Amino acid sequence: MDPEAARSARESLDLAFHMSNILNTGLDRHSLSILIALCDLGVNPEALAAVVKELRKEKPPSQ
Amino acid sequence: MDDEEEQKKLPDLVKALVHNLLSQKLPPNSPPLNPNSPEFQNSLRYAHRILSSHLTPSITPDAASIAESIKRRLATQGKSSEALSFADLYTKFASKATDVDNKWALLHLFNIISQDRKTAAKSQLDASNLLPNLTLSDNNVTRRIDNRGWNDGVLLLAKDPENRRDIAFREFVKLVKEENDVTEEAMVTDVLYACQGVDGKYVKFDSEDDCYVLLDSVRVSRSTRSMVHKLCELGVLFKKVIGYIKQSMDRFPAEDVGTVGQAFCSALQDELCEYYKLLAVLEAQSSNPVPLLCESASSRNYLSLRRLAVWVAEPIVKMRLMADLVEKCRVLRGGAMAGAIHLHARHGDPLVHEFMKRLLQRVCSPLFEMVRRWVLEGELEDIFAEFFIVGQPVKAESLWREGYRLHDAMLPSFISASLAQRILRTGKSINFLRVCCEDRGWARAATEVATDTGATARRGGFGYGETDTLESLVDEASKRIDKHLLDVIYDRYKFKEHCLAIKRYLLLGQGDFVQYLMDIVGPELSVPANTISSFKLAGLLETAIRASNAQYDDPDILDRLRVKMMPHESGDRGWDVFSLEYDARVPLDTVFTESVMARYLRIFNFLWKLKRVEHALIGAWKTMKPNCITSNSFIRLQSTVKMQLVSALRRCQVLWVEINHFISNLQYYIMFEVLEISWSNFLSEMEVAKDLDDLLAAHEKYMNSIVEKSLLGELSQSLYKSLIVIFDLILRFRSHADLLYEGIHELQARITESSLSSRDQKKTRKQLNDKSAEQGSWIADGRKALTQRAGEFLRKMEQDLDAISKEYSSLQEEFISQLPVQQHVDLKFLFFRLDFNEFYRRVVS
Repeated sequence: MDPEAARSARESLDLAFHMSNILNTGLDRHSLSILIALCDLGVNPEALAAVVKELRKEKPPSQ
Repeated sequence: MDDEEEQKKLPDLVKALVHNLLSQKLPPNSPPLNPNSPEFQNSLRYAHRILSSHLTPSITPDAASIAESIKRRLATQGKSSEALSFADLYTKFASKATDVDNKWALLHLFNIISQDRKTAAKSQLDASNLLPNLTLSDNNVTRRIDNRGWNDGVLLLAKDPENRRDIAFREFVKLVKEENDVTEEAMVTDVLYACQGVDGKYVKFDSEDDCYVLLDSVRVSRSTRSMVHKLCELGVLFKKVIGYIKQSMDRFPAEDVGTVGQAFCSALQDELCEYYKLLAVLEAQSSNPVPLLCESASSRNYLSLRRLAVWVAEPIVKMRLMADLVEKCRVLRGGAMAGAIHLHARHGDPLVHEFMKRLLQRVCSPLFEMVRRWVLEGELEDIFAEFFIVGQPVKAESLWREGYRLHDAMLPSFISASLAQRILRTGKSINFLRVCCEDRGWARAATEVATDTGATARRGGFGYGETDTLESLVDEASKRIDKHLLDVIYDRYKFKEHCLAIKRYLLLGQGDFVQYLMDIVGPELSVPANTISSFKLAGLLETAIRASNAQYDDPDILDRLRVKMMPHESGDRGWDVFSLEYDARVPLDTVFTESVMARYLRIFNFLWKLKRVEHALIGAWKTMKPNCITSNSFIRLQSTVKMQLVSALRRCQVLWVEINHFISNLQYYIMFEVLEISWSNFLSEMEVAKDLDDLLAAHEKYMNSIVEKSLLGELSQSLYKSLIVIFDLILRFRSHADLLYEGIHELQARITESSLSSRDQKKTRKQLNDKSAEQGSWIADGRKALTQRAGEFLRKMEQDLDAISKEYSSLQEEFISQLPVQQHVDLKFLFFRLDFNEFYRRVVS
């Protein structure tokens, strides 16, 4: 990736992260970037939301 | 990237996501997550299962509308600053992030996650326990049914294993569909049409019942029907309002709608503009789906009838109010209209109150502008007769009293009567100054007021609700204009000097002038009225002025003094018709109007009569005064005749003294207790008078006090009549007394003559022959006959005097007895003066 594209990608990520914070989604930057990528691949956002919700609800895996 | 590569990337991304999410929940110090642990594998499988469920998104992929809905939700939750910054971020995001393709998906994702978190945080109450959002779209339901079979992919279904809810729901939808021919969306559209006064497909205007009705042929549930009916009230009201506006505007050039009416229409139109805006927004929204976000999310049109009912709740209140006003104001105009609208403004509901205030501010602005111009410029700018002051063309002298008046019907109730009175007077003063006084100084006073009250006096500077400002403006203006007016009246037109002149000449205050006038005019006035030349009298008046101190008076004042002959009937003597007149020119004729001058005339006539009687008495006294020449000449008379003579003289003197006592005291009373006291009261009231009305009132009071106290009023008519009879009697007494003394002088002359030579006797006889037959006949007889004649004459005179004396005492008794019973005027001082030693009271009792 050329530096120009990388920078614009980071800016977009920043903006998205801000929005997600305002909406209080509780997503961290890394998860957000993955989710953006998934959305770009055409995955249904409602399904993605369900995944996020379900996985958060689940008890932490016992070690 | 081609598809294959994408498909390869997907599992990796999912794995990363799951790893990320799970590791977030780990306690901070725990070892990193093992990607190979069974729990992780489970979660990963679960995630894959969810993702592979070919759920289609429930909303249209429109990033802007989703962003809008998020923003609105934030705003309604009271986080307006967040809403703003979100909108800001979104616009940046939309323009910059070119590499993110599925912006809507991302936003949607955020939205769902944030709502999920909130519901999870709020309570453990699961949304799926509630009724699902009822939607009548088919595919949604069928999809749910299709989705059956997934065990844990969709929670809603998982918690309802039998899926009874969905079955019931499907049945409900079927039922609803059977009942309704028309979808709710179509109904909403129709209602929105109706709200603009246009017939829809199903909702038509029924002119008979004056309302919008849903066509009978359309089969809908009863609740929908009543809901539609309720909502369409707005349409009916709207029709009313728009009809009124149209009607007013149509007839505007031809008929006079008036500026207030126009302002009202324009204000209504502005309100309708707001309403149109709302309708436009609603219409735009009606076809848009609302982004509803939860598991049971189902897309449906934003506006249902119920939502619409909420939206129009406020407009309907306003519209109802407007329709009400329109109904009330249909026949009203101008101030009356503003007043009628004002009656509605006293409303407890702040919404209504605010609305009415806004409306009234517009409606009243022409009215207040008229007040401003009237108060500051004296202009009656009222083409449509809307103002509460109306002017009428009158002559200059009645401009003040009749030129302008309040039109009560046009007086809006928010202007109090006293304020209206002050407004009226201020403008009237300006007009009076302009028309009658030809004065320009008021303009400066008005400018001062304008600058003093500052910005408020600007055109349209004050409006409804600022009654205090209006009041202070009016106060300030009236104070200055009135002061200026009084200054002009006093200084330039010398009101006080003219009043004094009237008092001195018409009310006989200038003694030497009156005395002299009486002296020289008296002989002229004894002849019948129709033979008197008023030119000659005018000349005599002039002479009287020159001969008295009046000559030093202001020539302008003397110039106004005229002789006036009242209309006379046959048999009237000059005394009855002679009067003086004072010519009060513009602008003083506002005070000295014709009716006021007529009352002055009456007072003058009375005073003139009194003066004449006094003058006659003094004339009698001149002849009656005893002196030694007369008394010496009586010595040679026979004792019987002498006794007779002395008794006749005595009787005459006594009567004279009695009459003189009466007249001089009456005159004292009139001069000092009526005229002077009234004058001094009038002077002090003149000092404190603040405006012309005060001055007029003071003058009126002055006149009334004189008229009442001089017994000229309605209530003292009987007293006045008896007084006039007494006056007549006194004049008769005077002629008798003259006769008596003439006889006595004659007798005297005869006696002296008899002792003179016969030549002289002859001469005298010749002279006396020219006199009256009775007197002439004395001389012919001898001394004896003379004595006899004298005895007869004296006896006759004595009888006459007796009769007069009797009549006089009965008249005077009657007059005096009436004095204490007068209720309306205080005559006890007069009574006391006339009867100071209770002589008459004793006689009466």
